[in-house]
Amino acid sequence: MPSFFKSKKRKARKRNNQHSQPPEFCQVIHPSLADQLDYIRNKTGSSTDIVIRKASFDEKLGIRTAIVYVEGISDKKTINDFLIESIIKNRELHEKHPKRDPFDILLDEVVALGDVAVHHQWDSIFQSLMAGDTVILIDGFSKALSASTRGGEQRSIEEPGSQVTVRGPRDGFTESIGTNIALIRRRIQNPDLWNEMMKIGTVTKTDVAIVYIKGIAKDEIVDEIRSRLKRIEIDSILESGYIEQLTEEHVLTTFPTYYHTERPDMVAGNLLEGRVAIIVNGTPFVLIAPALFIQFFQSVEDYYGRADIATALRFLRILIFFISIIAPASYIAGTTFHQEMIPTRLLIAIAAQRETVPFPAFVEALIMEVAFEILREAGVRMPRAVGSAISIVGALVIGQAAVQAGIVSPAMVIVVAITAIANFATPSFTVAISARLIRFAFMLAAATFGFYGIILGLVMLTVHLTSLRSFGVPYLAPIAPVIPSNIGDTLVRMPMWAQKKRPKLVASDRNETRVGDNQKPKPDESRGMKRTSEKNGGQT
Amino acid sequence: MEKAKISAYQLFVMIVLFELGSAVLVPIASGAKQDAWIAILVGMAGGFLLFGAHYRLYRYYPEITPIQYMQKLLGKFFGKLLAFSYIVLFMYFAARVLRDFGEMLLTFAYVETPLFIVNAMLIMVVVYAVIKGIEVLARTGELFFLLLYLLAVIGFILIVSSGLIELTQLMPVLEEGWGRVLKVVATETISVPFGEAVVFSMILPYLDNKDSGLGAGMFGLFVAGINLSIVMAINISVQGVEILTRSQFPLLTTVQSIQMAEFLERLDVFFMVSVIIGIFFKVSLYFYAAVSGTAILFNIKEPSRLVYPLGLVVLFMSITIASSYSEHIKEGLGLMAKTLQPFFLVLVPVFLLGIAYLKNRKKQA
Repeated sequence: MPSFFKSKKRKARKRNNQHSQPPEFCQVIHPSLADQLDYIRNKTGSSTDIVIRKASFDEKLGIRTAIVYVEGISDKKTINDFLIESIIKNRELHEKHPKRDPFDILLDEVVALGDVAVHHQWDSIFQSLMAGDTVILIDGFSKALSASTRGGEQRSIEEPGSQVTVRGPRDGFTESIGTNIALIRRRIQNPDLWNEMMKIGTVTKTDVAIVYIKGIAKDEIVDEIRSRLKRIEIDSILESGYIEQLTEEHVLTTFPTYYHTERPDMVAGNLLEGRVAIIVNGTPFVLIAPALFIQFFQSVEDYYGRADIATALRFLRILIFFISIIAPASYIAGTTFHQEMIPTRLLIAIAAQRETVPFPAFVEALIMEVAFEILREAGVRMPRAVGSAISIVGALVIGQAAVQAGIVSPAMVIVVAITAIANFATPSFTVAISARLIRFAFMLAAATFGFYGIILGLVMLTVHLTSLRSFGVPYLAPIAPVIPSNIGDTLVRMPMWAQKKRPKLVASDRNETRVGDNQKPKPDESRGMKRTSEKNGGQT
Repeated sequence: MEKAKISAYQLFVMIVLFELGSAVLVPIASGAKQDAWIAILVGMAGGFLLFGAHYRLYRYYPEITPIQYMQKLLGKFFGKLLAFSYIVLFMYFAARVLRDFGEMLLTFAYVETPLFIVNAMLIMVVVYAVIKGIEVLARTGELFFLLLYLLAVIGFILIVSSGLIELTQLMPVLEEGWGRVLKVVATETISVPFGEAVVFSMILPYLDNKDSGLGAGMFGLFVAGINLSIVMAINISVQGVEILTRSQFPLLTTVQSIQMAEFLERLDVFFMVSVIIGIFFKVSLYFYAAVSGTAILFNIKEPSRLVYPLGLVVLFMSITIASSYSEHIKEGLGLMAKTLQPFFLVLVPVFLLGIAYLKNRKKQA
C-alpha cells in the first residue's frame, strides 16, 4: 500500500513538471533551474559574494544542478570536497539507476555532509544561504537542498580581554554562536544542558540562543526570558547589549540587571546556579540573567582560590565600590562643612595646601574629576601607538603642573587618584561605570549638604537598589531579603563544602542541593596526636 | 492595599528600626532620672500588651487594615471619622519626627541652613521610598538593620574602651521608689516609643505567614526596648543625670565624648548615619501608613499619586507645627503626652479590641 501512494505522488510531480508555469517572484520555488537562478540573482542584486556553480548531474538526460553559496561565510574546502567533487564523481549514479528520483539520490548518496535540509520556500532557502549554508538546486524540482557548510574566517578562541584572572581557564568566547555553545557544552557534559535558538532582527536575522540546564533553572524564569525575547521587534541585533536594553525590567537606573561575560567558565558556573544564558551571534559577550547586585563583586577566581582569601577580597571590592562613589564627595564634605572631624594637623596641612587654590572644594574636585574622565576616555579611544602620550600628559599636566599652578591642591590629586584606581579595581565594568556617574551626584550632594547629603544619598541609593528586580528576583538578594541558606556566597565566600544549596530565588526548588553531606575534608586519621586506630602500626 | 508580601523577619526588622528611630535621639523617660532605663523596660512590657491588642484585632480581620475594620466595628460614620483622625495623626507624628530630626541637625551641624531645606531633603528620600512600596521599605530595612547594629557594636566597644562609663552614676536605683518610674511609664514610655507600634497594624495584613506576626512583633519590641534601655543607661553613666536631663540629644553628647587613640574622636558621622537611618524609617513608616490609609479610606486606585502631595503636607506641617524648638518640645510634653498619645495609642486600640471581642463572640454564639 505505501508504495502505491508514493508512485501516485511521483506521478503528480511529473505532471507538474510538464506544465511549466511562468516565472514569478513568489514564495513557491519554480521548477526551472534557470528561473530559480534568476530569482536568486534578482533577490541578491547579483552581489559578487554569491557564488553560483552549475554542474550537470546526468549528462544523458540533461539534468542540471546548481550549487549556490555565499563566499566568506561558508567553508570553501568543505564545499569543494564534499559537494562539488562528490556531484561530479557521482554523475553515473543516476545513469545507472535512471528510475530513481535524482533529488533522492542527491540527498541520500551524493551529499556527504551531516546537516542537510530540504526547503520548499524561498524564505528558508535564503535564510540558510545567508547563514553560510550551501544550497543545491536541481532542474525540474520545486524544492531545494541545503547542506551546512558554515565556516569562513573567524577569530580563534583567545584569552578574554575583559575579565582577566590569574588562575582559571584561558579560553574565551568568540563571535561565533556555535563555538560559544560548544565551549559551554564542553564544560557541562550533560543532556540536561538545553539550548533554544531563535532569530531576532527583521533585517539582520541574528541567531540568539537561550541556554540553561533543565531541572536546575527555574521554569518560570526561562519562560519569562523566552517571552521577552519573542516580544522584540527590531531591525537589528548587533550585540547582546541590544537584547539587554530591550528586555530589562528597569529603564531608569544606572545599574545593570543583566550580567555579561566573555568567560565560558563563568557562564557554566552561573548555569549551574540555575541562571539562564543568552548567547547572541556576532559577539563574545554572553548575557546572564537573573543578575544580582552581589554578583558584580564576584570574580570566577573567588571560587578557584581559597575561601578565606576570596572573602577578604570581596570585602575589599565592596570597600572599593564605596570609595569610588564617595571619596571625592567626602573630601568636599570634610573640607567645606565638617572641618572638626578632620584631625587638626591634617586639617592644617590641607588648609595650607588649599590656600593658593582659588576655587571652592567642589569646583576643585569637579575640575579634577572631569579632567580625569577626559583622560580616561582619551585613553580608551586613542590608537595604541599614541596611548603612552596620554599617560605622560596626564601625569605631568594633571598631576604636577595643575598643583604647581595652584589650580588644585595635592590632597585633591590624591583623592582623585585613589578614586580612579578604586574604579579600575571594580571587577565588573558595568558597575564601575555606573559608580563613575553616581559619583558626580554625590559630589553635588556633598557640596550642598556635607555628610548629611552623602548619607541621604546613600539611603536613596540603597532604596533604589532594593527596588530593582532582575527577572523577578530582588536585586539585593540574598542580603535583602535575607536568605540564610545562600548567605555563604555573598560578601563572604564559604568553602565549597559549606555551600550546600543553590541560590533559592534563582534556581528551581526541586534541585537545590549541590554538595553532598560530610564533604568537609579532614586530616588523615593515622597521623597526629589523636590516634584512634592502631591498625597501621607505628607508635607514638 | 498594594499587592505585597513581607516576611516575619522583615516585620521584626522594621519594628526595631521604627522603635529605635527617634527614641535614641531624644531623651526619653528622662523624668525618671537615673531610673530612665527601668522606665523604658517597664514601658516595653506595656508595649507588649498594646501590640498584643493590635495583633488580636488583626487576627479578627486578617485581610483588612484598621481603616476598614474601624468602620466595621464602629459603623460607617464613626469608623470613617476615627480612621480619618488616625491618618491625620500619622501625618502629624511623621511631621513631628521630621521636626525633631531637623532641629537636631541644625543644632549640631548645620547652624546656618534653614530648617525647611534640611527637612525637604529627608522627605524627598522618604517620598522616593514610599512610592516604591512596602516591600522595598522592608528590604531596605533588612540592609540597614545590619548596618545599624554594626555601628552600634563599634560604638559600644569604643565607649567602653575609652573608659567613659561610670556605673555609679546609675545609683541609687529606684531612689524614690516605683512611683516616679511608673508615672513616667504611664505618661511617656508606654505610648512613645512602644505605643507607636500602632503603625504596624497597617502593615500586619501584608504578612505572608499570619501566625508569625505576634512572635516577630514582640521580639522586635523586645530587642528595641533592650537596646533603648542600654543606650539610656550608657548615656546616664557617661554624662550623669544632671547633664542628661538638660541635654537635648543625649546620645550625641555621649558619642562626641569618645576619644580614642588620638584620631578616633568627633565621631559625629557615626551618630549621624545611625540617626538618619532610624529617622528615615520612622518617618517612612508613618508616612506610608498615612498614604495607604488615605488611599483605602477614599478609594483611590493609585496610592502612588498621593505620595507627592501628602509629602508636601508633611513637610509644611513639620515647619509650621511650632515656631521654635522649645515650643515644639512643649507641645510634645503637653498636647502630645497628655491627650493625643494616651487616647490614640493606648485607649482606642483597647476599646476597639473590646468591641471586636464582643462582636465576634456574638457571631460565634
